[in-house]
Amino acid sequence: MADRRRINGPAGATIPPVFDDVSTPKLKSPKTRSRPPNTTRKMYLKTGVTPSASGSAYLEIETSATPGVSGLKLSCSVHGPRSLPRSAPFSPHIVLSTHVKYAPFATKQRRGYLRDPSERDLGIHLEAALRGAIIADRWPKSGVDIIISIVEGDQDRETSLLQGDEVWDMMNALGGCITVAAAALADAGIDCVDTVAGGVAALVQDAGEDSIPTVVVDPIPSEHEKILAACCIAYLPTRDEVTNLWFRGDLPTSDIDLYTSLVEKGIQASKNANRVLVGCLAETIE
Amino acid sequence: MTTTTTTTAPPTLAVPGQLLGPASRYQPGPGTHLHNANLYASLLGHVHITQPAQQPQQRQRAPGPAKRLTKITPAPAPAPTPPAELPTISVAVAEVRSSRVPAAGAGAGAAVASGGGGGERKKREVLPEVGNVVLCRVVRITPRQAVVAILVCGDSVLEAEWQGLIRVQDVRATEKDRVRIYESFRPGDVVRAEVISLGDQANYYLSTTRNELGVVLAVSEAGNTMQPVSWKEFRDPETGAMELRKVAQPQPQ
Repeated sequence: MADRRRINGPAGATIPPVFDDVSTPKLKSPKTRSRPPNTTRKMYLKTGVTPSASGSAYLEIETSATPGVSGLKLSCSVHGPRSLPRSAPFSPHIVLSTHVKYAPFATKQRRGYLRDPSERDLGIHLEAALRGAIIADRWPKSGVDIIISIVEGDQDRETSLLQGDEVWDMMNALGGCITVAAAALADAGIDCVDTVAGGVAALVQDAGEDSIPTVVVDPIPSEHEKILAACCIAYLPTRDEVTNLWFRGDLPTSDIDLYTSLVEKGIQASKNANRVLVGCLAETIE
Repeated sequence: MTTTTTTTAPPTLAVPGQLLGPASRYQPGPGTHLHNANLYASLLGHVHITQPAQQPQQRQRAPGPAKRLTKITPAPAPAPTPPAELPTISVAVAEVRSSRVPAAGAGAGAAVASGGGGGERKKREVLPEVGNVVLCRVVRITPRQAVVAILVCGDSVLEAEWQGLIRVQDVRATEKDRVRIYESFRPGDVVRAEVISLGDQANYYLSTTRNELGVVLAVSEAGNTMQPVSWKEFRDPETGAMELRKVAQPQPQ
């Protein structure tokens, strides 16, 4: 990373020393899920955190390894609707532009200041998810910028660096991004057909070679031996429509219905997130 | 249609996607959308129900000889309310919001709106739409067009600055071929105009082809605010010099 203008931290991982504390209970075996398979983690959502933006929201999801410690922290700000730059062609509807950026310190592997391909990828998925929810032709000739910074990236500090595949973390991050962006859009007063929320489901294999793969919602990679497949879904509950579906992994060919059940679990996770979202929005206007 | 869900009153607060009622009972207003013959909220805010006005009189055109059709104009806006006269349901962030009271004068209406919504967090952003009357300031003129910055749309001051264009053929309705831009507008004038098109990538297209549209505020070359004296002239009260403009007919407050 040839970024000479800023003082960069060391490129490698910097893990602060963890001292043995007698009072804290010993970590349980890290490879067990601490929740029932169909329960999502607790979520905190608040709108109106950035005064200078047209709309903003903040999302926190707890990590389940140590209760009370946050795993995912997202901050979203929406700027606009505002006029398009003069170079842009005429657009009869609103032009969405989404930016997702990990803070340099959000993950164990330090991120650069410029967006890398995985962050661009998240932005594209987010845009697809939101475009299905926005009533774009209410705002002709205008653009809106949706900027999400991932302050903390939902990575368990105790797990080793090489263990987790980053893609599964990205799915959890995308689910949160969709939910927080929907809250910020509603706060900004941009017309939406529905509140869109993101949910993640995965097919996991727990310890033991012969164990049967199970479908869980809201997976944490550090809690499972192996994640075989996962999908992240953006879902509109009152319309019963899916606006974005991101599927990754290999499914055993023996079970045809596995794909459907995975998507259904993803929708269920998204409905859970939506309940938080609606509650938060109702609180905002009261 | 007589199930409990459809006969209950609509909610007072709405989040996007919330069901407000069947389309047979309400008309969609701002902040709502229609889906499968039902009305849903599309914004976060308070639900307002506006009863239809008592037979809103079609605004009479200024008296004068009937104009010949010289251009193809969009059909007059469909009757504001269908024969059924349904109440309009709308969703807005602000709790108090005078939703386009037609009787109130522009100044009075704006004062009421800002007074009521003063404590609110912020007003919703608005965009100029086709048919809106806007106030704008002339930025520069060329022989073919005047470039303006749109400042006010209806009763609301715009946050973003939008650029507009008054082409030479849209300055007045008659004798279009004799119109000269520099005899109609000067940079710095405040103009009341109507939006006729969303235009191209950068500009809204505006028109002043009505008597009540045109320059409302002009400053003379000497730097004094001028008074309108005829449909095409302003006079400087101090020097007495006349300047040519496309003058807007003064409107009774």
